[in-house]
Amino acid sequence: MNIFLYLDRETPIHRLDPRTKILATLILFSLCLCFNHPTYLAAVSLGILVIAASSRALPNFWKLRFLLILLFVFSALMWPLFARGPTPLWNWGPVTVSRESLLYGIAMGLRLSSFVMAGLILLSTTRNEELTHGLIGLGIPYPVAFAFSTALRLIPTLAGAGATIIQAQVSRGLDLESGNIFRRMGKFIPQAIPLFIYAIRYTNLLAMALESRGFSPGAKRTFYYELRMAPKDYRVLIVLGAILAAALCLRLGMGVGAVLPGRL
Amino acid sequence: MSTAVSIEDLTFAYRGQEAPALQHIQGEVQEGSLVVILGHGGAGKSTLCASLNGIVPHFFRGRYQGRVLVKDREVAGHKVAEMSRYVGFVLQDFEPQLFSTNVELEMAFGPENLLLPRREIEQRIQGYLPLLGLESFRRREPASLSGGQKQRLAISSVLTMEPQILVMDEPTTDLDPQGREEILNIARRLREEKRTLLIVDYDPESGAEAEQIWLLREGGIAARGSPGEILGDIPALKSCGVKVPALIELFSTMDWPGKPLQVGEATALVQEHGLARPRKLEPSKTSPSVGNGSFILQMEDLVYRYPSHQIEALQGINLGILEGEFVALIGQNGSGKTTLAKHFNALLKPSSGRVLLRGKATTDYRQQEISRLVGYVFQNPDHQIFCNTVYDEVAFGLKTLGEPPDSIEKRVAEALATVGLTGTEKKTPFALSKGERQRVAVASVLAVRPEVLVLDEPTTGLDEERQRSLMEMLKILHGRGHTVIIITHSMEVAAEYATRAIVMKDGAILLDGPTREVFAREERLQEASLRPSSLVRLSNWLGTRALTVNQMVEELGG
Repeated sequence: MNIFLYLDRETPIHRLDPRTKILATLILFSLCLCFNHPTYLAAVSLGILVIAASSRALPNFWKLRFLLILLFVFSALMWPLFARGPTPLWNWGPVTVSRESLLYGIAMGLRLSSFVMAGLILLSTTRNEELTHGLIGLGIPYPVAFAFSTALRLIPTLAGAGATIIQAQVSRGLDLESGNIFRRMGKFIPQAIPLFIYAIRYTNLLAMALESRGFSPGAKRTFYYELRMAPKDYRVLIVLGAILAAALCLRLGMGVGAVLPGRL
Repeated sequence: MSTAVSIEDLTFAYRGQEAPALQHIQGEVQEGSLVVILGHGGAGKSTLCASLNGIVPHFFRGRYQGRVLVKDREVAGHKVAEMSRYVGFVLQDFEPQLFSTNVELEMAFGPENLLLPRREIEQRIQGYLPLLGLESFRRREPASLSGGQKQRLAISSVLTMEPQILVMDEPTTDLDPQGREEILNIARRLREEKRTLLIVDYDPESGAEAEQIWLLREGGIAARGSPGEILGDIPALKSCGVKVPALIELFSTMDWPGKPLQVGEATALVQEHGLARPRKLEPSKTSPSVGNGSFILQMEDLVYRYPSHQIEALQGINLGILEGEFVALIGQNGSGKTTLAKHFNALLKPSSGRVLLRGKATTDYRQQEISRLVGYVFQNPDHQIFCNTVYDEVAFGLKTLGEPPDSIEKRVAEALATVGLTGTEKKTPFALSKGERQRVAVASVLAVRPEVLVLDEPTTGLDEERQRSLMEMLKILHGRGHTVIIITHSMEVAAEYATRAIVMKDGAILLDGPTREVFAREERLQEASLRPSSLVRLSNWLGTRALTVNQMVEELGG
């Protein structure tokens, strides 16, 4: 089972410096936070999708389509119940749904999925080592950066082990096909124990392997892949920075792009 | 020649354990020599390896007495990271050692920590890629490599640090015969470069080229000497739980002169002394297959594609397995054995074609019905054990299938008796040894009384004695009428126990027939990168039907 996110392709986005990609992702995150109007956020999401297509990361989007759709649907349904707006649509006991809160829900759905999509582009186009190196280049201490990238690295490994564990239990008669969703979820609990033990064993061995190969946290080391900010890196950052500045101007200066101006 | 490693009266007990893992180990390894370490499971082989680069006592703490000197440096006084310049250590499990996103970066990781300049790292990678046959995989992700390639990558990622001493803990355990041969070839080449090598192995035959063999028993060195001395010493090998090389055992039992390790030596001795006359292998008159004629499993044009890959993992398998057969599925790592076996109990569903279980398509069964008919024991017992007690673990399947309590009790007792674990009901399975956990896993499948038992690599990681007792247990179950299917890369296990051998290659069946006939076709097996054990090859040369030492003694002596 292969659920590694990095896709080894040759696109201009792959060739950007990892620091540029990390900063660009942060800018995209901020951009999502600028608006809470669905139209504006839809524009941001569309922009992110275009970047994803040009970095050929769409296969990963397809892989995680259920997560993306789930995030969107859940927040589009849940937010209207909590956010309050001036134009009521339905009144159902203590629950009031307004036109604005409905739009706000859709916007939040778009925002959450955009977050995930922006992160997904970063992980699809940046190797784990480059990410570590980029974080260090941005001033994060090496042990922290290394722990972060190792944690990312462990996710697919543990997911693979989890799949094997479930197969092992299914072949012993564990019935995952019947029962309602809560009963089915309950049946997954026993799987956590072997997975937990596997994770401890695996990380222990990983630590042994790291030390045996001369790794010591905090010590200086060479980075085999060189980091180099090229002119195009600066161009990308300038363009994205300008878009962010314009967005801030729209929202803060002109008050555009928000259905519920009081909320983030 | 100077001393590379010197161990002076080393005793070590893991923290929280009374019994020492190593006791009064004394030994020297000369520079440029090869030392092979053999011993039973739990004899202290891995602990000894770990004491050479400081993992013992820095990573694993405990009671440590004595000294280990590597190139005149006291290991206990240096950090593991410092020792890594001198001692390269390849761990037994290769998976956790490969943590980078591509082959090149994996090999660069060690030198990066040594603070080498980029150009130098580049040169080292260039130099070691061809030595380990990994040139074409430079940009590949380690997880996408085959078992043998992964092991070679684990070795090369240590070699790029250019340590003078290389320690490898069971580097060939998970590999097919060809992968194994490749690793041994690398060891030979490294010796030509005058590097010092310490290799732990389970197969004594790989010790043939060593300067020294150390035999470990219960934490101490039981015997030490040249391969000729140690491998010919049958009582010493047996007392340490090490398999006696089959040819040596044969020659000794037959009272033939000489102690050959290789088939070539054996045939030369046989000819020289006129010990036996080669004849033509006669086809068997009675079929060794004891199937009673009705199919329990049938594959019809079975094709399987993994969702994430485009290639066909199984390409049109047509196969019938009779009730009561003992089948060995053999083939290279990645040839599709496990993929095929997972279709037997519908863990995987065919992309096209059908799998029939007792004449009915597996897709028409409920998963629970299938688990009553087909039991599947996974390669790693730790993937399925999760209960607090052995009893609950074995009873789990029965409970989920809704058996009444008194019947559960009876069946659990029965299953534990079969695997020889009666009396461990209240113990925690996690505290048992690997061999015992393997048995718990088998018992938990047996308790359901499935008609078919599928076991994926049941003997991997078990020493000679535990392998034998597990396989003897399967033999008994087979005798009681169970259909047994094992996936194995051990040619010895397949030859000794299976009545039928199925050889897979690239997702298709290359050879299929009675075990004796399959193993007689050495050239065809070569196509699947397989090679029968040396005893079977001698048997092929002699034209005998024997597949084990005992059978051959009977056939030639009787």
